[in-house]
Amino acid sequence: MNISSVIVIPRPERVAAVTEGLRQIEGVDVAAVSPEGKIIVTLETEGDGETVAMYEGISLMDGVMSASMVYHHKEDEPEVEISVEA
Amino acid sequence: MSVFTLTRREFIKTNAVAAAAVTAGMSVPGAVMAQARGGDGVRWDKGVCRYCGTGCGVLVGTKDGKVVATQGDPDAPVNKGLNCVKGYFLAKIMYGQDRLTKPLLRMKDGKFDKNGEFAPISWDAAFDIMAEKVKATMKEPTQGPYGVAMFGSGQWTVWEGYAAVKLMKAGFRSNSIDPNARHCMASAVAGFMRTFGIDEPMGCYDDAEHADVFALWGANMAEMHPILWSRITNRRLTANHVKIHVLSTFSHRSCELADNELIFKPQSDLAILNYICNYIIQNKAVNQEFVKKNVGFFQGVTDIGYGLRPNHPLEQVAGNNGYPGADGKPKGDPNKHTPITFDDFAKFVSEYTLDKAHEISGVPKDKLEALAKAYADPKVKVTSYWTMGFNQHTRGTWVNNMIYNVHLLTGKISEPGNSPFSLTGQPSACGTAREVGTFSHRLPADMVVMNPKHREFTEKAWKLPAGTIPPTPGYHAVLQSRMLKDGKIGFYWTSTTNNMQAGPNVNGEIYPGWRNPKAFVVVSDVYPTVSAMSADLILPCAMWMEKEGMFGNAERRGQMWRQQVKAPGESRSDLWQYMEFSKRFKVEDVWPADLLAKAPELKGKTLYEVLYANGQVNKFPKEEAAKVNAHAWAGYTNDESEAFGFYVQKGLFEEYAGFGRGHAHDLAPFDTYHKVRGLRWPVVDGKETLWRFREGYDSYVKKGEGVRFYGYPDGKAKIFALPYQPAAEMPDKDFDLWLCTGRVLEHWHSGSMTRRVPELYKAFPDAVVWMHPKDAEKRGLKRNDVVKVSTRRGEIELRVDTKGRNKMPEGLIFVPFFDEHRLVNKLTLDATCPISKETDFKKCAAKVVKV
Repeated sequence: MNISSVIVIPRPERVAAVTEGLRQIEGVDVAAVSPEGKIIVTLETEGDGETVAMYEGISLMDGVMSASMVYHHKEDEPEVEISVEA
Repeated sequence: MSVFTLTRREFIKTNAVAAAAVTAGMSVPGAVMAQARGGDGVRWDKGVCRYCGTGCGVLVGTKDGKVVATQGDPDAPVNKGLNCVKGYFLAKIMYGQDRLTKPLLRMKDGKFDKNGEFAPISWDAAFDIMAEKVKATMKEPTQGPYGVAMFGSGQWTVWEGYAAVKLMKAGFRSNSIDPNARHCMASAVAGFMRTFGIDEPMGCYDDAEHADVFALWGANMAEMHPILWSRITNRRLTANHVKIHVLSTFSHRSCELADNELIFKPQSDLAILNYICNYIIQNKAVNQEFVKKNVGFFQGVTDIGYGLRPNHPLEQVAGNNGYPGADGKPKGDPNKHTPITFDDFAKFVSEYTLDKAHEISGVPKDKLEALAKAYADPKVKVTSYWTMGFNQHTRGTWVNNMIYNVHLLTGKISEPGNSPFSLTGQPSACGTAREVGTFSHRLPADMVVMNPKHREFTEKAWKLPAGTIPPTPGYHAVLQSRMLKDGKIGFYWTSTTNNMQAGPNVNGEIYPGWRNPKAFVVVSDVYPTVSAMSADLILPCAMWMEKEGMFGNAERRGQMWRQQVKAPGESRSDLWQYMEFSKRFKVEDVWPADLLAKAPELKGKTLYEVLYANGQVNKFPKEEAAKVNAHAWAGYTNDESEAFGFYVQKGLFEEYAGFGRGHAHDLAPFDTYHKVRGLRWPVVDGKETLWRFREGYDSYVKKGEGVRFYGYPDGKAKIFALPYQPAAEMPDKDFDLWLCTGRVLEHWHSGSMTRRVPELYKAFPDAVVWMHPKDAEKRGLKRNDVVKVSTRRGEIELRVDTKGRNKMPEGLIFVPFFDEHRLVNKLTLDATCPISKETDFKKCAAKVVKV
C-alpha cells in the first residue's frame, strides 16, 4: 500500500468546492484546511502508478492552482498494530 | 506522555499529514507528531534533485548500498520540503533495467569497425582506441586540434565541467567544447553579457514572495518549474492584489491561474516588448533618475541572418552574420551596436503602437494594455520569468535584451519583487556550463578565449606557459554537427546529454555527421539512449548519488552532495574518465615544440601531471574527505579520491574558485558547501548575495552608489533599439502550420531518465501532437487518430490530441521531445540566434496528414 500526502492550493473562491471534490475521491482523505485555504490530503493507493494518476487528477481539478507532493511511504503490512508515545 | 496503539497505516498517515503541515506552515490539531525516523537502517543525507534548474533540496535515504527513498528537504530554502512528481520518484532513476555497466565498442572480427556491432571491451582498450583517434585527428591536416571536439552538459557537476575544460582548452588546445546548454540558455547568457557585461540573474527566488505582478513570457512554470510555481501560487493566495500575466503561443496549465492570458503569434514577442517600451515612454512612466544614472542607449545591427549554413539564401543576403564573405573576411558582426540617445530610442519604439502590436501579435488590445500598464505603474513590483520561449529563438539575444529594456526604463530591477528572471532547464546550466565556462568561447568566471588578458589570467592560474590556450572560439553545438558532417571533426566525445534526440535537424545534420566514416564518436552515458546507439564507443557512467557533486541553480545557488552509493558494474564518473584518459598523452604528443620550449619543466610529463597533479588540484590528501565530511558520517570517502589518491573534488573546486573570488563571482570555501543548503554567489565574508547591483544587498556596490551595473566599466547597463523581424521559416501553402516543441511535466528533456521510471512512463507514455479541434476537423482527423507530421526535413507518426493540458490556437501544433520513438527533432530546423548560436526549437513550418 502507498500512503502519501499532498498540499493542494485552490483559487481562494473555490476552497469549499475543491475540498468537497477531494472528499468525493476514493482513497483521498482531507486531513486539514488552513484559514488561508491550503488543503492537506492523504492518498492511499495500491501502487505508485495509481498514486501518480490520483495526483495528476487532483492537479487537473477545476479551481486547483497547484498540488505538491510532500511525503511518500510504501507499506507492506498496513494493518499491523504498533505502540507510539505521544 | 501517553502511549497509543494504532495500525501502521494510521501511523504513516499521521506522519504524512504532519510532514505536509510543517511544509505548508500549518498546525494540525490532534496530529500525533511522532517521528518515524531512525531504527530502520536508512541513512538520510542532504542532496540536490537531478532534474531541472530549480535546484530543489532532497533528502536521500540509503540502505544496503542502494538509494531507497527521497523526499523534499524541509530545510532547503528553494523548495521548503516540497517535491514535484519527477522528484517524487527520484530514487528510481539510477535503477533502470538497462543501465550501461561496461564500455561497448562497435566491432567486427575482433576489431573496431564503424559498421560493426557493439561488444564489451575493457576501459584500457577503450582508452587505447580513443587516444589513437585523438592523435590521428590532430595530425590530419583537414581536421587538426579543433577537430578534437567535446559536447558536454548542463548536468555535469561543477568539477566534471572544469576538468573537461582543462583537458580540452589547455590539454588538447582545442576550444571545440560546448555544452548542451547551448540549446538551452545561450541566448540568456548573450543577453546578460550584452546588457550588463556580466552573466546571471540579479534577483533570486525570493522575488516570488515580494512581487505584485508576475509576467510569464512563454514559460509554462506549472509543468516545467512546478516548485517555483507553487511559491507563486502561494503568493497569489496570500496577497489578494497579486496578478499574473501569462504570455504564450498556446494555452497551457499555467494559464489556469492567469488574470491576463495573452496568446500571441510566434515571434511577435519582439513587437510586444517594443510596444511596452513605447507605452512606458508615451505615458511618462520612465524612471528618469534611474535611467540617467544607470543606463546607456544603443542601436544594434539588424541584418544578422538566422545562423543557418552559409550557403542558405537567408545568409547570402545578411550583411552582418559574421560569416566569411566572398573576400574571405567576416561579413560584419551580428553583435555590433552603436550609441544613440534616449530620444532616438523613443523615436525607434514609437512605431510600435497598440494597433501595430495587436496586428503583429494577434493579442486583443485590452490584454496588451493591461500588461503594459502593470510594467509602467511605478507602485507595482513586477517579476518577469522566461525560459525556452525567449532563449530558443532566432532573435533570442535580442528578446533577452528587450525584456531588460522594459525593466531598465522603469528601474524595476535588482530589488525584492522587481526582477527580470531567466529560468534554466538543467540542474547546473548556471553552475557548470556558464560559471565554469564550458562554451566554445568561454573560460571560467565570464572570461572569454578571444581576450588576451583572460587567456593570460587562466594560463597563470593553471600554471601553464603563455600561449597554451588558443585565441579563437571552437565549434559550438550546431556547428559541431555541421563539422562532423563535413568531415572536419575526427574525434567527438559527448557526455550526459542526448544530442541525437535533443539537437535540431537530426536527419539533415546530426545523424549523417555521427555516422561519417571520418568521425569517431564516443558517448558517455548511463542508459542506451538514441545517442549512445548512434555512437562508435559507449562509456558507462556513474550518475547523481553515485559520485560526489556540486550543481549551481538558476538563482546562483551552489549546492553540494556526498557520494551515497557505488555505481553499478564498471561504470565510472565523467571526472574519472577525463582524468584517467589524460594519462594517455605526453605533452609532446599534443603541444607544438615552440610552446613546450617556453616551459621545459613540463617536458616528458603526461597531461594528467600537467593539468591535475599540478600541485594545486592534488593539494588535499584523500584523508581530507573524511575530515571535511565528518559531520555527516565517519570515514567518508569517494571513488575518485580513492582512485587518484587525493581529495579530487576539493582540489578542483578550490583551483576553480580562484577565478571568481574578488571578481564578483565569489564562491564560499569548499567545506562550507558540504554543511549548508547551498549559497548564492557572490559569497563575500561568509554572506551570500540575494540581489545584485544594488547597495545594501551586493557588497560589490559601494556606499553611496545606490545602483551600479558593474559588469561594464562605466557602471551602466545597455538598452537596445531592436526591431521585430520574422522567423526563419514560416507556414506557407505547402507546410501550413507552426510547429512548436517542448516538454511535459512527467518527463525531463529527452526522457532518458524519466522514461525508465515506470510510473512516469505510464503517466505519459508516448508523445502526441496537440492541435486545435478545427485544424483537426479540417483535415478529417479525430482525437487519437494516428497522423504523419512532416516538415521539409523529415516526418514522424504520432497520435492527435485536441484537448487536455495544452490548448492550441488555430494554425499551431505542439509536440514534446521526450519520446525516442517519435523524434520530433527530425523535423526541426537548425536555425539559430546569430549572436548566441542557440537553436530556435519553437518555430518551423509543418503539415499534418492522416496516415
